[in-house]
Amino acid sequence: MKKVKILTIILLVVLITMIGAFGIYFKVQNRMENKLKEYAYSMDLNGGRNVRLKVNTESKDVIKDSEGKEVETDEELTDEQLAEKGYTKESVPNNSQDVLNLDNYEKAKKIIEDRLKEQNVEEYEVALNDETGEITVQIPENSNTDSIVSNLNTVGKFEILDSETKEVLMDNNDIKKAQVMYGAGSSTSSGTSVYLSIQFTKDGAKKLEEISTNYAKKDDTDTNTTSGENTTTENTTNTQTEENTTNSTENTTNTTEDTSATSEEETTQKQITMKIDDEEIMTTSFDEPIRTGTLQLTVGSNSTDADTLQGYMKSASSMASILTCGNMPVQYDIEQNEYILSDIGTEFLQYIKLAIIILMAIGIIILVIKYRANGLLAGLTMAGFAGLYTILLKYTNVTLSLQGIAGIIISLVLNYILINMLLSKIKNGEGKTEKEKVNKAITDSYKEFFIKIIPICIIAVVFALINWMPISSFGMTMFWGIVLIAVYDFVITSSILKIKADK
Amino acid sequence: MKNLSKKTLAIVILSLIVIIAGIIMIAVKGFNFDLREQKGQKVELYLKTEFKDSDIKNITNEVFGEQPVMIQKVEVFEDTVAITTTSISDEQKNNLVTKINEKYGTELKAEDTEILDVAHTRGRDIIKPYILPFTIATLIILVYMAFRYHKLGTIKTVLKTIGLCAYTQIMLFSIMAITRIPVGRLTIPLVILIYLLTLVGITTRFEKNLALKKEEIKKKA
Repeated sequence: MKKVKILTIILLVVLITMIGAFGIYFKVQNRMENKLKEYAYSMDLNGGRNVRLKVNTESKDVIKDSEGKEVETDEELTDEQLAEKGYTKESVPNNSQDVLNLDNYEKAKKIIEDRLKEQNVEEYEVALNDETGEITVQIPENSNTDSIVSNLNTVGKFEILDSETKEVLMDNNDIKKAQVMYGAGSSTSSGTSVYLSIQFTKDGAKKLEEISTNYAKKDDTDTNTTSGENTTTENTTNTQTEENTTNSTENTTNTTEDTSATSEEETTQKQITMKIDDEEIMTTSFDEPIRTGTLQLTVGSNSTDADTLQGYMKSASSMASILTCGNMPVQYDIEQNEYILSDIGTEFLQYIKLAIIILMAIGIIILVIKYRANGLLAGLTMAGFAGLYTILLKYTNVTLSLQGIAGIIISLVLNYILINMLLSKIKNGEGKTEKEKVNKAITDSYKEFFIKIIPICIIAVVFALINWMPISSFGMTMFWGIVLIAVYDFVITSSILKIKADK
Repeated sequence: MKNLSKKTLAIVILSLIVIIAGIIMIAVKGFNFDLREQKGQKVELYLKTEFKDSDIKNITNEVFGEQPVMIQKVEVFEDTVAITTTSISDEQKNNLVTKINEKYGTELKAEDTEILDVAHTRGRDIIKPYILPFTIATLIILVYMAFRYHKLGTIKTVLKTIGLCAYTQIMLFSIMAITRIPVGRLTIPLVILIYLLTLVGITTRFEKNLALKKEEIKKKA
């Protein structure tokens, strides 16, 4: 019976080892497919998206009136028309010579890093060429990468202007932070709305209150506007911006979408224009003064579709990160955007795997020499531990990085140390019977071992909770390694040694 | 100094020599950063076919000689190679393009191949993300140490832990600076490994001392 029990455990261990090492294969459409999940790899092993941002060297044409004031016009004016109106056309570089300095390059780099952090990118590398101002960004390749890349060179200039005089009433300096919120849509329609909530600084909040008082709607009934086929009613606006972001203010503003819209009080109604990167987001007036210091803009329309909402959330979160992190002092262009694989290929991982197998084999041989039959049994369970650990890491969504691999190696070493400690205590321990000796050895070894590795446990837990992929990868592999050591060695290794000692 | 054994004294002197030499090396030459982290130059060549890193390596060995080279595959089809090295001269570029054309039957032209500058990653940017986790973990560990080994003297225990952790890390970086081991992707795993080993060493030592102390108290009682 004792032999059957031991044999059963050994077979189980061998099975786990085989699955861990080679996987489980099933026939799928005339070919064998491994049903065991693959590892997820971090940027240092899998490569990532490389984006080169070059300082913009282009110029734009600016039309100025006779007083030197910038004139905004939608129509293309010929030289004759300009001369007729007394306007002059000047070519102004997007980045003036004053802004092209190391200080601003550093600021731009810092803003890019902040934006990546805000968008919860768990791993990135940002390098700056001090001389040219060129910035290279490397981020992991996944479904969010394109949207993150599209925001890297966005200047993020935020302005609230008087729609007529173009006087800047508020800008980026007034923003404290922006965040994404969601909740039930309007009372008339079902579904969920996504909001971009812009929280202003103390001074900004005061300005906003002042503006919302000065630019308050004159009369509710009169300001409902009609524009072609659309009827914009109270509290809604639909101004399309890049990335399908549609904004409107919630409960606080009343908006006109089309400048051609007619209104009884249009001539007297003061309105503000909100611009992001010189692109008009909305023109609006306010229902009532805003004293909360927060402006909420709905992103997109009410929806019940999860994918649509997810899209709105992405757009809003990109916008939020841009507004929170401030505007870039230098305008950049995306020069190169490509996925580059890691120079550490799969070959390297195979070498690591092989090295671990060889070291484990040596370890098992040492155990057999030192502790004979107990060493052999414990050695076999060690192989099972490695197999189960592999499966566990695949199914606990641990992303493997170089640090993570270090964590795996340390966990395997820790398991070896515990087994060695256990076998040594069995060999040299005292007790009336063999079973008693084994039981005492197990208790003593566990106590001694886990007291010694408490600092490692602390590190594993802290690192696992950190939102930085390489370090969390180490923490996660260590955490699961330690949990598995505690459970597996108690259930499998200790059991097999107890059964062997049982007479 | 009188209380120090010869062995301890030797360790102290040796450590001081290593640390001073390390500091001098860092001040004079700095760390030897891995190619990935240092300023360099890069060319990308479209080979129209999948390739083996080892084949490209043979070519770059001939072209760049002793210069460190990093070879990476580009995009999902893996038919473009990015070759990064410390610097690429026009002659090296011509040579590289010629050899690639010979090997892969491509018709690449040196004049169409742009040499791109690769910005360096600063040491502080590499370290920055690790400062917070290490600080939090160390603080919690110190609190644990102070409680667990309060019989050995709380302040003494905390100071010893901080001192030994700092000592091993300083030694590691001094050795890296002296031996010119590149600072790169493997540095952080190495730092973590040394940190863990130090902590296990400290705990083992403290546990032993604690057991002796308890025995001593028992005897006195």
